[in-house]
Amino acid sequence: MSPSPDSPRPGEVAKLRILVVDDEPTLRLGFAYALTGKTTSVETAATGRIALDRISAGDFDVIILDLRMPDLDGIAVIEALRSAGNTVPIILCSAALSPDSALRAIRQGVVDFLLKPVRPVDLRQVVDFVLFPENRPLPQAMKAARGGNAAEAISILEKKENPSRQAIHWLQVLKAVRDAGPGERLTHLEETVRTSLSILAFNAPTVTGK
Amino acid sequence: MLRLRLFYGLLTIILLLWSVGAAALLLMRDSVERFDRQLRVDYQVIDAAQAVRTLTTTLNTNYLPVLAGPPPTQPPSRDLYDKTKKELQEKLEIVHISVSKDARWRSVMPRLDQVFASYFEVYENYFSGNAVTPEDRGKLLQAASIQTQRLMDLSENVMTLGEEKMFSGAGRLGEDSGKNTLFVGTLVLLGTSIAVIIYFQLVRHLVDPVSTLERSIDEIRKGNFELTLPQPSQSSEFAKVIAAFNDMALELKVRRGESDENLKRANLVNAAILEAIPSPVFVLSDDTGIIQINPAAENLSERLGVTGRLPLKIQRILEECRETSAHFLPEDPREALLFRIDEEEFYYLPRIFRYDSENSTQSGWAVLLHNVSRIRWLDDMKTNLLSTVSHEIKTPLTGIRMVLHLLLEERTGKLDEMQRVMVTSANEDCERLLLTLNTLLDLSRAESGATHLDCVPISLAESVRRAAQLYSGAASSHDVTIDLELNTDGATEILVDPIRLDEVLNNLVSNAVKHSPRGGKVTLRITRPDANYVRVSVIDQGPGVPEGSQSRIFERFYRAPGQEVDGVGLGLFISREIMRAHEGRIGLLERKDDLTEFYIDVPIA
Repeated sequence: MSPSPDSPRPGEVAKLRILVVDDEPTLRLGFAYALTGKTTSVETAATGRIALDRISAGDFDVIILDLRMPDLDGIAVIEALRSAGNTVPIILCSAALSPDSALRAIRQGVVDFLLKPVRPVDLRQVVDFVLFPENRPLPQAMKAARGGNAAEAISILEKKENPSRQAIHWLQVLKAVRDAGPGERLTHLEETVRTSLSILAFNAPTVTGK
Repeated sequence: MLRLRLFYGLLTIILLLWSVGAAALLLMRDSVERFDRQLRVDYQVIDAAQAVRTLTTTLNTNYLPVLAGPPPTQPPSRDLYDKTKKELQEKLEIVHISVSKDARWRSVMPRLDQVFASYFEVYENYFSGNAVTPEDRGKLLQAASIQTQRLMDLSENVMTLGEEKMFSGAGRLGEDSGKNTLFVGTLVLLGTSIAVIIYFQLVRHLVDPVSTLERSIDEIRKGNFELTLPQPSQSSEFAKVIAAFNDMALELKVRRGESDENLKRANLVNAAILEAIPSPVFVLSDDTGIIQINPAAENLSERLGVTGRLPLKIQRILEECRETSAHFLPEDPREALLFRIDEEEFYYLPRIFRYDSENSTQSGWAVLLHNVSRIRWLDDMKTNLLSTVSHEIKTPLTGIRMVLHLLLEERTGKLDEMQRVMVTSANEDCERLLLTLNTLLDLSRAESGATHLDCVPISLAESVRRAAQLYSGAASSHDVTIDLELNTDGATEILVDPIRLDEVLNNLVSNAVKHSPRGGKVTLRITRPDANYVRVSVIDQGPGVPEGSQSRIFERFYRAPGQEVDGVGLGLFISREIMRAHEGRIGLLERKDDLTEFYIDVPIA
């Protein structure tokens, strides 16, 4: 049996450190096994608080964050991190992403959504998408948005020829969030976002599956 | 009997007419006869007088010239004298007979007789032959001429008198005709007065009952069924009419009583039903004035602070209904209107019904507000429950699936044959469960999501191009080509929610690609079916929708039998919901030339 992924393995030299935050033990286990590889090391946290502790203890390259958790939920973790000035890329992974949480996340520069159930391959691809964005308009725009530069993201998407459905939706949502201003509630946008959530979310490029 | 009276009256007039005519005729003939007779008598006198003069002249011419010479040897013949004398005496007789008794005639006649006597005496002397001497003969001639002269004068006199008598006879006839005129005039006057009497009788017996009847019918029309007409005498033809009229009035009175009863009962039933209905009901006249209102409606309008009026939101819908004269009978609780009463939210589904009597004299509106707050609440609950439950199931399922996938990836070690079979089987179950869950979620999304639209002006051609682009990959892997036929209609500006419209187009294009045979062609075409819509047709060369399924393909979860391609049967349902929210149309055209054509009609902004 392999050692539990809940504890760090000090022997290895990890290039990329990934933190999986989920209250479901099987998922933590599965995610960790799926992502652990030669170039990655995975740590896990069962709650939002533990996650914040872990993050403050060490630098992570990317965090896979569940939305619904017992003590602090995903959005609270994001907002805590961002208010502390931490801009680590976050992938929000949930079975039921609400429009409200999606909008709040987007405002904090969290633009990568993974909809459960996910397959190991989706997980690996989204990490690659975040850490090594291809030199194409959509990944580049997402990168800009992730870095808090919504204006650039919008301009990249606007320039794109023959935009994909996902690109169109992202452009629309990003513009709407920009136009709304920082303090405003985004209730009026929720209806728009509700239907396009599955489109906004990360889709593995190889749609054919296996 | 009126008929008999009429007959007698007119008969009298006719008789009078006849008698006047007959009398006039008789009188006229009588006068003519009398005039004729008179004329003849008078003329005889004149004629006789004339004859006297002629005869005396003849005698004198024949006998007297001898007197101038010496007495003849032979005495003159008496034959002519005797004959003429006789004629003269006859003429005198005629004058005697003809003369009337008036004074002048009486004075003339003796003189005439005397002159005749003298005249004949002269001739008797003449024939006696006593006058032989020229002296005597001269005397005799003188006497004869004197007597002849007197005779001439007298007959002249008689002629004059005869003429006078003739004229006076005409005058008498004139007097007679005056009397006749009086007689005829009297008869005419009599006829006229009888006609007047008949007129008044007719008016009394014929016209008066008719106008009384007319007045009574008027009264009944005004609703006064109480009146009855006085019964006329049995002999009148109007007796039956009046009796029938009175019967009718009575019948109407009874009927009205009955219908009043029915009306009262109907009103009571109505009121009871209205009170029993828990939903507010307003019955409105054509100009939306409130006619009737049930307690629930009273209560509602009171709580909304609009007592005695329709709530404004409903008034607006009613105005729209009035413009189109159409019912408004929504079924979907999502069309309900929100009312806030005391911080509480209530949803009322307005159902507006137009009522109209056959002759359009009675029309108006009935508005029923169906309280669907509870239905809406249950609906929300269901949606929430559904998403919560599926989340609660999805999360552990994700873990299970992740683990199964990892095992199958064999990163943690090789699986033996048996383990592989078991894990594969578990993984397939897991996938099936996920599909079911996603279906449930799609459904709740379809039902709750299609109500809100974020409409912006867009170009339809762009959306179609995007859909074609999106499925170009899938199409080429199926060996299917996508053809675009976008003419200028594609540039027509439409006001839609682009994301929703894309969803519909993608669904149709995806279906078309999926059902196309290898090497087939999918055509996307923009047209203008009419002034109000612009149409996108998605045409494929696939086998088409089976006959029996065509009416059902837009139902939720409906999948045409024998389908191999994946899907749960919600795509067209969701598309229809979206088109409906856009006030557009979606449909399947009849299959022709082996082409299947789905279309959407988008209203032009």
